[in-house]
Amino acid sequence: MPKLTIDGKTMEVPKGATVIQAARAAGIEIPHYCWHPGLSVAGNCRICLVEVEGMPTLQIACNLLCADNMVVRTQSEKAKGGRADVMELLLINHPLDCPICDQAGECKLQEYSFRIGKDRSSFDFPKVHKPKHVRFSDKVMFDAERCILCTRCVRFCAEVAKRDELDIVNRGDRNEIAVKRGGELENDYQMNVIDVCPVGALTSMDFRFKSRVWFLENAKSVCSGCSRGCNVTVGSRWNRVLRVIPRENPHVNQWWMCDAGRFTYKGNDADTRLGAPMIRKNGALAECSWDEALDAAAKGLRDAGADLLALVSGRLTNEEMWLAKDVLAHLGTPHRDVKPRAFAKDDFLRTGDGNPNSRGAALLGIAPGTGGSGLTSLGSRAFRGAALFGEDLDDRPEALEALSKCGFVLVVGSHETETSRRAAHVVLPGVTPFEKDGTYVNVSGRVQRLARSVIAPGEAWPDWKILGALRARLTGAPAPRTPADAFAEMCAASPAFSGLPWNGLGEHGADARTPEPAGAAR
Amino acid sequence: MPAVEVSRLLKGAPPVGKRQTLDEYRAAGGYEALRKGLGMTPEQITQAVIDSGVRGRGGAGFPAGRKWTFVPKNTGKPVYLAVNGDESEPGCFKDRQIMERVPHLLIEGAILACRAIGAQTAYIYVRGEYPSCIGNLEAAVEEARAAGILGSDVLGSGWRCDVWVHSGAGAYICGEETGMLSSIEGGRGYPRIKPPFPAVEGLWRSPTIINNVETIANVTLIVRDGADAWKSAGDADTPGTRLVGISGHVVRPCHVEIDPAKTTLRELIYDHAGGIWKGRKLKAVIPGGSSVPVLPATQIDVPFTYGAVKAAGSLAGAAGVIVMDDTTCMVDALLNLMEFYHHESCGQCTPCREGTGWLEKLVRRIWSGGGKPEDIALLDRVADTVGGAGAGKTICFLADSAVMPTKSFLKHFRADFERAVAEGGSPVWKARASRRKPAAHAGAR
Ligand SMILES: Cc1cc2nc3c(=O)[nH]c(=O)nc-3n(C[C@H](O)[C@H](O)[C@H](O)COP(=O)(O)O)c2cc1C
Ligand code: SF4
Ligand code: SF4
Ligand code: SF4
Ligand code: FES
Repeated sequence: MPKLTIDGKTMEVPKGATVIQAARAAGIEIPHYCWHPGLSVAGNCRICLVEVEGMPTLQIACNLLCADNMVVRTQSEKAKGGRADVMELLLINHPLDCPICDQAGECKLQEYSFRIGKDRSSFDFPKVHKPKHVRFSDKVMFDAERCILCTRCVRFCAEVAKRDELDIVNRGDRNEIAVKRGGELENDYQMNVIDVCPVGALTSMDFRFKSRVWFLENAKSVCSGCSRGCNVTVGSRWNRVLRVIPRENPHVNQWWMCDAGRFTYKGNDADTRLGAPMIRKNGALAECSWDEALDAAAKGLRDAGADLLALVSGRLTNEEMWLAKDVLAHLGTPHRDVKPRAFAKDDFLRTGDGNPNSRGAALLGIAPGTGGSGLTSLGSRAFRGAALFGEDLDDRPEALEALSKCGFVLVVGSHETETSRRAAHVVLPGVTPFEKDGTYVNVSGRVQRLARSVIAPGEAWPDWKILGALRARLTGAPAPRTPADAFAEMCAASPAFSGLPWNGLGEHGADARTPEPAGAAR
Repeated sequence: MPAVEVSRLLKGAPPVGKRQTLDEYRAAGGYEALRKGLGMTPEQITQAVIDSGVRGRGGAGFPAGRKWTFVPKNTGKPVYLAVNGDESEPGCFKDRQIMERVPHLLIEGAILACRAIGAQTAYIYVRGEYPSCIGNLEAAVEEARAAGILGSDVLGSGWRCDVWVHSGAGAYICGEETGMLSSIEGGRGYPRIKPPFPAVEGLWRSPTIINNVETIANVTLIVRDGADAWKSAGDADTPGTRLVGISGHVVRPCHVEIDPAKTTLRELIYDHAGGIWKGRKLKAVIPGGSSVPVLPATQIDVPFTYGAVKAAGSLAGAAGVIVMDDTTCMVDALLNLMEFYHHESCGQCTPCREGTGWLEKLVRRIWSGGGKPEDIALLDRVADTVGGAGAGKTICFLADSAVMPTKSFLKHFRADFERAVAEGGSPVWKARASRRKPAAHAGAR
């Protein structure tokens, strides 16, 4: 455990720690471009120069191992001068096209120019010109003039995505990043290169030119694409989600997320969104008021009673599952199930389980109860009624056929589906994961917060509110006023969640109390 | 005083362009050092090299024996030897004499070095523009393999050792030791950050010793003759002989093997190379290859040892003596160097990637008549931002190698720069421009 001093602060650090890491842990940020905590050390940008007592030359903090009695100065004149020199050199050939650059506002060149740079350049030559629109794939665009050759993107592909797809071609100030062998980026995590790029050299085809980043409203949330539950920051404006980028969580996704997860927001703006409750009258679904629809739904559920089959979506939040389960318990039906949802699986983040909250469902006991039937019995067994909470059967034509023969079918969902069109008697418009608050439990038992970024269209209600209203109608129990209320109720009654704080989950989540679904089945 | 050549490394070497065959080499006692070395322990060989005091001939002059002791023991990983024959520094052409003419001397030294450091594989990385060296070395390796000198049973000792000749592909940076490792591994010739040092993590993350061709060739002689006999040439600072290349404005550009303690820079220029051509006078000399500081004509009465040349204000480096006569415009000469370093920067490090280009642009502007009076001070300042002797601002020394000439040219020959600014450019440029119609602009070469 070496003990060293950085800017007058003495600290003890684990063996093998570098000065940049030690400084960071002590709250001293040493400027860096090429260094990234999740990638190998490249040591090429030279912006992290610091002075070390007893060493004649400036040292790069990112590759300097901490040693006992080392005295490091990040703010000496020599260190500051060295960094200012590097800053000046970084900008001599840089296009300085910040006004039209997507990275502006979150660009490290801007940041460090502002903090440590010089106020003018002595460079008065024509700049080196390089290609400005190089398509790396249908997701990633490259601007070689903005690139500072830090190789973070190269290292990400080789080290994290394990697909060595990028490299540098040419030499000196003619250097450019290129996709190897003239191909395209193909890996399923390629959009992370946009995030690791400290400048505006790599931009998202999807987000390019949509908004200045400083006008975005950012919500800390989790991805609903699969059961990994990668932590994300959702950026929105004009009540529309514009991008989803990973948010660091050492317990779950480190700094990364898959590309598919970034596009989950696309469903928000689909023209199949449901904007009003509907009841089937004379064979056709017709819009109606929430009261009318909830009354009809409650009546249908009550009539079906213990012979109701409920499909509770693995995409619902814990609070919603909890309320659904309460409703089903009151009706006395053991027939409840979660529809499995396949998703690509790999040996990195993607789990293969497209239900973001399978684990929550298991902890809360959303599975056929004693003597109960599940999804697979649809078709072989007739039910008096069926309720699909956030679920559809569009991908299972035979089950859908059987469903449409049920006496009563309630569909709660955010989008119009073949299922709602063909089988529903009552349709209650719910919302997408971007439009509500709640919690999920990820594949390794981490309870994490989903945060609302935008407001759902029309008269759609968040599913927890719908379920609360249904429960109130059926049992008289008060409807939770907020998802936090529902969460508190769930935590009080369910050992897996006992004592977890709603507000404490925002940043990195917390582990569920019981790793296995014990005691939750009621 | 007559020019005193010594003959050790190149003793019995055939004329330039020809190769000493295995039979010829053996007839002159070749591979007897190896037979002797096989009877020694690795530690004994290393000790002999330490005792000889031989310093690396690739430029930095680091004691070779000391370097060898940095190889960690019992890592469970293989150890490699990488012999640096990239010789791409302007002004240097000494290693070529060994690789082309006496390749077996080098191969024998490489096997001995492997034995000492615990390696069984050596790579000889040869400058790509040296096809005759590559061909001759390959032929020699084949001969050695066929004769049981290389391979699974070196001279019947039961010990395995092999040598591979690896061709460079035309980049100066592949001569930088870790750039060379990257290149041998098949990657871009990118120098690597240290730590880890190559002796600990080099080729394929295994311990690797890198030495210059001449350094390794000397190992043969050290083992053959013993450290004391070997040290009879040179002095305590620079033991052994040195191979020197002399080029530029001399009557007879040449290479010579000298006793560095007994030969001055002046003798190299005036005796060995026949003096300044065309009856002109000496203006400047770069003693150690393009990367070292330039010396004015007044500084050449120094022996060609590391220490003496350093005391004179430059470095003996890789012993490439570049001579410039009194008609030379130093702005023109510096432009030539800056074009080189700008072209050869691998581009990893910000200061070198961006700075070498800026330096070239500034020198070119002064050269081509567009220079402003403040450009000279700016050139000096930009050089400081890029690096300098021991500046440590970059991963490797290429950046510093561009800065050292720049700073020294300005220091000793500032008048040339001031004249170019005041009088509309370098005489070289003006002469070229007047031959051209219409007048050339600042960007033209
Ligand atoms: C840009 C650059 C180019 C170099 N080129 C060569 C070269 O061509 N040959 C060489 O032996 N050393 C070259 N060197 C020095 C090597 O990095 C290294 O110091 C040397 O090969 C070590 O061998 P030695 O200790 O036997 O001298 C170069 C260094 C730099 C920074
Ligand atoms: S594209 Fe971005 S991440 Fe990649 S090397 Fe350039 S600046 Fe670095
Ligand atoms: S791995 Fe799963 S949770 Fe993570 S971003 Fe991809 S889909 Fe979303
Ligand atoms: S100093 Fe120059 S040549 Fe050396 S690694 Fe850095 S950029 Fe490459
Ligand atoms: S952050 Fe240390 S060199 Fe780039």
